[in-house]
Amino acid sequence: MVEGVKAWICGTFLLLAGLVQPVLGATPGLDRAGFAVSLCGDGVAQTRALDALIRSSGEEAVDDLAAAGILLRGLLERRLVCLGDTAVLLDKVGASAGREVGIGAVRSTEGGRSPVLGLRQRALTETALGIATLVAGETVELRSKGLAAVERRMAGVPDAVLLRAQINESDAGLKAAIGVAAQGAALSSPDPMRRLAAIRAVADAPSGAAVSRLSALRSDPAYGADPAFRAALDAGIARVERAVWIGNGLALLYNGLSFASILFMAAAGLAIIFGLMGVINLAQGEFIMVGAYAAYGVQDTFRRFAPGLLDLYLLAAIPVAFLAAALVGILIEALILRHLYRRPLMSLLATWAVSLFLINLVRVVFGSQNLQFAMPSYVSGGVPLYADFIVTWNRLFAIAFATATLALTLLILKRTPLGLDIRAVTQNRDMAACLGIRTRRVDRLAFGFGSGLAGLAGVALCPIYSVNPGMGATFIVDSFMVVVLGGVGTVVGTLVAALGIGGANVLIEPFYGAVAAKVIVLAGIILFLQRRPEGLFAVRRRR
Amino acid sequence: MSGAMETSSMAAPRRLVPDLGGDPLLAAVIGLVLTGALALVLLQPAPYLVNMVGQLAAFAILAVSLDLVWGYLGILSLGHGLFFAIGGYVCAMHLLSHAYAVTGVAPDLMQFMGWKSLPLYWFGLASAPYALVVALVLSAAIAFVFGYASFRSRVNGVYFSIISQALVYVAMLLMFRNDTGLGGNNGMTGFPLLFGHPIGAPGMVTGLAVATLLALALVLAGARALVVGRIGRSMLACRDDEARLRTLGYSTTRLKLGIWCLSATIAALAGILYVPQVGIINPRVLSPDLSIEIAVWVAIGGMGRLGGAVIGAVAVNALKFWLSAAMPEAWPFILSGLVLVVVLGLPNGLLDLATLRPKPTWLRRGGGLG
Repeated sequence: MVEGVKAWICGTFLLLAGLVQPVLGATPGLDRAGFAVSLCGDGVAQTRALDALIRSSGEEAVDDLAAAGILLRGLLERRLVCLGDTAVLLDKVGASAGREVGIGAVRSTEGGRSPVLGLRQRALTETALGIATLVAGETVELRSKGLAAVERRMAGVPDAVLLRAQINESDAGLKAAIGVAAQGAALSSPDPMRRLAAIRAVADAPSGAAVSRLSALRSDPAYGADPAFRAALDAGIARVERAVWIGNGLALLYNGLSFASILFMAAAGLAIIFGLMGVINLAQGEFIMVGAYAAYGVQDTFRRFAPGLLDLYLLAAIPVAFLAAALVGILIEALILRHLYRRPLMSLLATWAVSLFLINLVRVVFGSQNLQFAMPSYVSGGVPLYADFIVTWNRLFAIAFATATLALTLLILKRTPLGLDIRAVTQNRDMAACLGIRTRRVDRLAFGFGSGLAGLAGVALCPIYSVNPGMGATFIVDSFMVVVLGGVGTVVGTLVAALGIGGANVLIEPFYGAVAAKVIVLAGIILFLQRRPEGLFAVRRRR
Repeated sequence: MSGAMETSSMAAPRRLVPDLGGDPLLAAVIGLVLTGALALVLLQPAPYLVNMVGQLAAFAILAVSLDLVWGYLGILSLGHGLFFAIGGYVCAMHLLSHAYAVTGVAPDLMQFMGWKSLPLYWFGLASAPYALVVALVLSAAIAFVFGYASFRSRVNGVYFSIISQALVYVAMLLMFRNDTGLGGNNGMTGFPLLFGHPIGAPGMVTGLAVATLLALALVLAGARALVVGRIGRSMLACRDDEARLRTLGYSTTRLKLGIWCLSATIAALAGILYVPQVGIINPRVLSPDLSIEIAVWVAIGGMGRLGGAVIGAVAVNALKFWLSAAMPEAWPFILSGLVLVVVLGLPNGLLDLATLRPKPTWLRRGGGLG
């Protein structure tokens, strides 16, 4: 952010300067023929011309630099031939004729000679050529090569060149690389004031790379010799490290939040179904899979019939996935679970059989490889927010999606007749039946609703996780833990438990590893159940 | 209440040999198991067949261990694979360190882990009795800790099931790691010797299978003695109405904990017998799916009947051996279909087909049990 603003300010400044200069007539422009002739001269003349070009390269016009670049490449490749007071550039080494520099007339090379470069002059030529390519190169690839050449001889390059190249650069990756190079140049500059300023500048844009860049300066001789430098560097490193630490912490929290969102969506349906019917639905993971595959189907349809709208498929998939999973759920309830309400452990085995069936059905129909999703623009990439913390759109999508689902679920449970029925049956099935609620119908609708929520989870996770027939197994154990911890039949409990378990998993992982995170979370849940066997938020009810 | 209870009156003295008259099915199963063992010794069938019989018997022991807690105590464990794996892993460690001690050839595992010698926790495992004790005690101890924490806070029903599933899942993740030191992903394999003899010799294969069959018969007889006795009556009472039993002054926690640990020990025994026959142990034994499959065997065979568990385990696994070779694509569909048919239509498993039992137990009283 800060860097961007600065670049903008500098750019504006340069732009103004550029507007003012022609009026003042301060920049004479490059005398191409004269430059070529100087290159034909002796070492002193060459050095003077090259030095002048490099020094003024920050302000030189782009086409002048391009022309100089062509000359310099010719010089290095021995295609530049000197004929008395003019120079001729050949197309090919050893050709008999070439074009005269500055005029363009074809001239024979007879009697001419190629200038010889000394070591120092060769280095200067390469620097100048690098600068010219960096600023005036036509493709990103060429400019990257120029940057590489410039970086090799950073000491002789004026700051204005890098600043200018950075501002003019259109490719984001190369732009950032130029910025890094410029900072690097300033950090190792012989001018102590510039170095201090550069340290502050680097510290202003904290990142993991900035830490290593500044830490490398600790082995610089100035670190021991110059107390001001030492103090500035130490302060800079401390600042960057703190910022990076905070940034990483934010990134962790963010990942935890997105994981928790998926968990919540997977577990909310489970909790409602379990609370209402006492059925542990081992096929919930497969309903997630059904949702993800439905999203894939929607994408396929869009690709075939409306390729222009492909970016929208993820949004279109939301209702489709919900309905697909809900239908499968209702079908399973009507065919199988309806008969097993008095036998919860048997219904558990039945749902396991259903999950086995669904996994293998999908495996046979679609194959067991990961599905390839085209990522719409709104779920790819992200915004760097602070230090190394990047808000990635795909995770933000999952979080927003889960929030919307939470709101929808609460709305349905608290504000609709169906929700009222579900709550009544959850609290006291017999009494609700006596009051005329058709409990079986409520069961079926609630099962469909819970399955549909899992289908939504499938849509939310397909930009983040891989989608294959076995994907449900990844979430099922964690989402059961969420239900157990949160207490059955409570959406708020599910939310809190999902945040807790998702957060704990993600927070422990970097320190002790993913497996240890699972072990610790499981042990924590078992210990917690010692205190509250009913979970965090138990619904009072009679069974 | 159950038929078993009515046959043995309160005052009957405890007998060393359990009365099998009350359960013709179990008597038939035990008879069949012993006949099978005898047939293996006398007829000397092809080694692969012998080996298969031995593996089936090991699975049957595992199924009986689960039936003991599920069918008689109403606790459905979806984590019994953990105890099976403990037995299996300790047995594998014994086999490797035994071979190392006898032949002096370092097992592949040591090269894989980059060890110069076996780490400290392998110490003594070359001795078979010590390894046996370690396997059984370790599995009982883990069962105790987990069971104590769960039963004390009255975690039961499906809650217990899914927490035990999480337990085995976490154990699987743990064993998949290479730095756990037990072979990681690859597990342990390549056992050359058992008690100093080549493990692949026909005599050894038969011996292992017969030993497993005998162990199965012993486990069945022992479990029968348990379930017809006073403890067995408490178990059924606890299964049918735990709250009432507790109100009457029984410590259901202690009862459940004891049977739970016993069941874990039997499962570990099954693992010990299984590994030398199959020749490999790896973390896939710990996958939650396998643990659910154990429950499926019991459900298909008929829960709450020791003979039923054996029938279920043998039938499903024999089918699996055959079908996963003949048509591997179809096996999962057949298994899931089988489960649905049994769960929906045959509440007592395959036993209902033979109508050996007219009325399912869970229907006799309110039917809180799955």
